[in-house]
Amino acid sequence: MQNRNNNTIYQNGGTSSFSPSNGINNNSNPLSRSLTDEEFDRYSRQMIVPGMGKEGQLRLLTSRVLIIGAGGLGCPAAQYIAGAGIGTIGIVDGDVVEPSNLHRQVGHATSRIGTPKVTSLITHLSALNPLPTYIPHPCHITPDNAADLIAPYDLVLDCTDNPATRYLISDVCVLLRKPLVSAASVQKSGQLVVLNCPATPQGEGLPEGGKYNAAPCYRCCFKQPPPAAAALSCGEAGIMGPVVGLMGVAQAGEAVKILASGLHAIPSSDGATGQEEPGRERNLRQPTLLIYSYDLDAAVGPYAFRALKMAGRKKSCFACGEGSRARLTLGGIKKGEPDYVQFCSAPTARVTLPVEERITAAAYHEARERGEIAEHVLIDTREREHFSFGSIDGAVNVPFGKLLMAAAVASREGASGNGNGNGFVEKILPEEVRGKMVDGGEDLPIYVVCRRGLDSQEAVEKLRGLGMDNGGRRKILDIMGGMKAWKEEVDPSFPFI
Amino acid sequence: MTSKTPKGHFNVLYFASAGSFTAKQMEAMPAPLPLKKLFGTLEAHYEGITENVLEHSLVTINLTYVEMPSGEDDDDQDIIIQEGDEVAIIPPVSSG
Repeated sequence: MQNRNNNTIYQNGGTSSFSPSNGINNNSNPLSRSLTDEEFDRYSRQMIVPGMGKEGQLRLLTSRVLIIGAGGLGCPAAQYIAGAGIGTIGIVDGDVVEPSNLHRQVGHATSRIGTPKVTSLITHLSALNPLPTYIPHPCHITPDNAADLIAPYDLVLDCTDNPATRYLISDVCVLLRKPLVSAASVQKSGQLVVLNCPATPQGEGLPEGGKYNAAPCYRCCFKQPPPAAAALSCGEAGIMGPVVGLMGVAQAGEAVKILASGLHAIPSSDGATGQEEPGRERNLRQPTLLIYSYDLDAAVGPYAFRALKMAGRKKSCFACGEGSRARLTLGGIKKGEPDYVQFCSAPTARVTLPVEERITAAAYHEARERGEIAEHVLIDTREREHFSFGSIDGAVNVPFGKLLMAAAVASREGASGNGNGNGFVEKILPEEVRGKMVDGGEDLPIYVVCRRGLDSQEAVEKLRGLGMDNGGRRKILDIMGGMKAWKEEVDPSFPFI
Repeated sequence: MTSKTPKGHFNVLYFASAGSFTAKQMEAMPAPLPLKKLFGTLEAHYEGITENVLEHSLVTINLTYVEMPSGEDDDDQDIIIQEGDEVAIIPPVSSG
């Protein structure tokens, strides 16, 4: 990729002022080449920034960056990576563009709905800057292909959307010694951290006497994945465009900084120590985790951004700590060891109810239609925003989180078995529903529905645990499969989100 | 910038799913408190928070990462959360 587009070399009056000035005098050094006039024009505004210069630009032009994920993070990141003139840009994504992507995935377009995201984004980037070499990888990253995808690049941007992939990418970056710029975002939160930079060999540079000697990997920061149920996806939890966009742009900023200053290069002497400026090196060994909290209810406040000082490489880290070479290898990953999906899905604390405590959406609907279910209480545990788009007639909204909290409080105060769960009912149900549950309505059946049928089962168990089944006199039932099943089995026009 | 705290207390900030679980962004708790008692104290207020949030979160005091005492790393220290400190509970965010 070196010396591309140099058929019209701008000789700058034939002087040697374009040669590197950092003391590395090597004729085969890519940094010794000249800039084309096109490059000169295009990149002049960033080259004149102090600290960047021609040398920084040449480093960018000879760098190779892999962007994994062409979504809410990958699109804004790629725009600035391409704009800055990174020489080779690889993009990995196996999905196609969908309408629900477009509010945040600014590298796609309405006219490209249904086309592969990788092609769509490269179309956009090529229009922005035709000079870089774009390499499409229209596939998902997997344990089988991860090392082959990552190996040819200098630096990786993790713009993916699930925990299993994040651990996989981090592990392979440790093994291949690639710096990793990791960002993530969901709902109203964003996180950004530079990992594995400088990329010290696996198992080396362990902390001594409370002092960190190497940069952390993703596992050093987050040893355990969140429970599968708590790992929200943008599809389920929602995402604000500017939040994820900001994190993607910041990711590009960190990548450009690392590449322009040459911090991604593995020192030939190995060990990755003693070569960088002392201050800079120390900072990277304990990188900053940037947190962005976007509060929809408040004006821009002092707590929107936080920069947290992280730890360095940990002795106990599975991937890069003591003894890690014996348990994590490229060959092992390819053969399915460790099992990333298993690691990120277990243990699940989800409740599965016996069949007699459940009813299908279709059966519930039919029983209602036939009048077999007369007075009853229907609790919908989806988030308020989901509920606001539509619900079953007569449903009351008690978001799952609120229900769990109220149940925990009621259970601490001691269940009284009086059918209202010791104040639980008063805390969470609106007055008109509570009114139905007294004066003869003490045993009114309760049905619980959620989005996809998991939370509702746990809710049923909580209500029962609080004694709300009145020793079995009151039926408490889960509507199987949630509102998703309701749409599929009962009402195809239901606006399921 | 750190948060203001009432006298004799430290502040806990709940990020991402920690905020969803507690339905709070921040609250004050009595100081001092040994770091190793932090999770137990939070569990007493929010049943289930250890398993659902804390075990996979990272914890900072005054914007600096602290290792939760586990016995795994040699350099575990008896850190005490002091009056006026700002503790943050930061679960990983995975989506994008």
